[in-house]
Amino acid sequence: MTNVLLLSMFFIKTSEAQSYTNLGDVQTDERAFYTMTKQMSQFMSRFNYEEDQYGTKISPESPDYRDRMKRKTVLPLLFDMDNPRTNGSLRDFFIADLTEKDANYFEFLGGKWYSEVSATFKMNGEKVDISMIFTIEQENLGSKWVLTNVYFSDFSKLFPKGDIAEQQKHFLHPMSHELDFMNIYKIFKTPESIEYYASNTYSPDYLSIFFYEVKCGNLVFEKVNSEKFHVFQIDNWYFEVSWFNREGLNTGWLISNLVFLKDDEKEELLKFYQPNINK
Amino acid sequence: MKKIFLTLLFGVFLLGNTQAQELSHERKQAVDSLALEKVRDLSKYIKIIGSKETPWSEANRVIDRAEELFAPDAEIGVSSLTTNEVQYYKVRQYLERLMRLNYDRVEIDWYKIEYVSDLQRQPDGTYVGVITVFQTFKGFDKEGRLVYQDTTKKDITVYVKRKETQIGGRLIGFWDVMLGDMRVKETSIK
Repeated sequence: MTNVLLLSMFFIKTSEAQSYTNLGDVQTDERAFYTMTKQMSQFMSRFNYEEDQYGTKISPESPDYRDRMKRKTVLPLLFDMDNPRTNGSLRDFFIADLTEKDANYFEFLGGKWYSEVSATFKMNGEKVDISMIFTIEQENLGSKWVLTNVYFSDFSKLFPKGDIAEQQKHFLHPMSHELDFMNIYKIFKTPESIEYYASNTYSPDYLSIFFYEVKCGNLVFEKVNSEKFHVFQIDNWYFEVSWFNREGLNTGWLISNLVFLKDDEKEELLKFYQPNINK
Repeated sequence: MKKIFLTLLFGVFLLGNTQAQELSHERKQAVDSLALEKVRDLSKYIKIIGSKETPWSEANRVIDRAEELFAPDAEIGVSSLTTNEVQYYKVRQYLERLMRLNYDRVEIDWYKIEYVSDLQRQPDGTYVGVITVFQTFKGFDKEGRLVYQDTTKKDITVYVKRKETQIGGRLIGFWDVMLGDMRVKETSIK
């Protein structure tokens, strides 16, 4: 009920705003396009309350810029209202947390936000789905999107999380050097377990495997299927933003998942998105 | 000593040049308006090119004008609701395809809404932004029946670059706006 009321209030105002624009000539109901969060750039502006309900940018000198109370009224519109996970009390806690003080803004160059691009490739003639993870990196005068990791089930299967007892059976004893490593053949006898002979700090670098397969011509890009964003910038929270192309007034880039996540737990999760984040 | 002086001078020039390339908030607003003007021109051209009443020679002339709005390597990526496969076209190819659509009459209209993103700088210092506009397309057969209708969201890349030109022997700096890749996505179909 609160959502319906909020949306109605928002739309009455946006309808009034139509006379301010001047590009087109379609004489129909445009509320759906006003309310749609049309770009991630607009998602950030709405999230931080850096633009008003008409889509007009608020000058950083204006008292309305990032106004906490106004931000509180706009934030609920950025959630997928069809999903109970993003349309209930967890959302309200999140908004309360965000607007408690003048902080917790989503910044383009603030780091710790990732784009996940799901794409189809051909691997040795077979179609396969691979997710590529990108982040914004600053360079010279500006910034660019860079690849930080990939997820491909075939790569993950190469490095199964075997049981500890099994892992502990695989080692070269500490005096092997005295015997010219004559026992080294054992490493290569069971190639599926070869990583057990690596250091405890070893973790597979899927991005390098991906580059290798592409360079060898084994993986050939076909098409992008979808894109979504993973945001870790806000203290103690993680959220996912997805594109909703559907009828109605709750469309465009919206929060599709929300998790309360302590910062130490977040660090663990971040290693998937950006394995070398602390290097 | 002379070498050190020259290096210093060059450094100061570069620094000055870099600072001159920064866009102030007010300047950004002016650049946004300039970029929107280009998009409005494009929308007008698309209407003329798509119209079956436009003579072939006139449509070709307008295609030339429209092509000039874009950076030379710009591409247009089109997808529909039925398949999310993106078809890539060169700007000219896309516009010529629009001109040759097999309907007896078409109506192309633009919604009043437009959204301009913040401008971000890429590593070479060029500013880049995206303008979103919405268009409806209606195709009619020779009996005047509506046989196809869709609404598309067009996300158009905008490049803003500092350039210099000589006017009356003086070097004048200006901000040049060019359109880049355009993504065309169907939002509804009937």
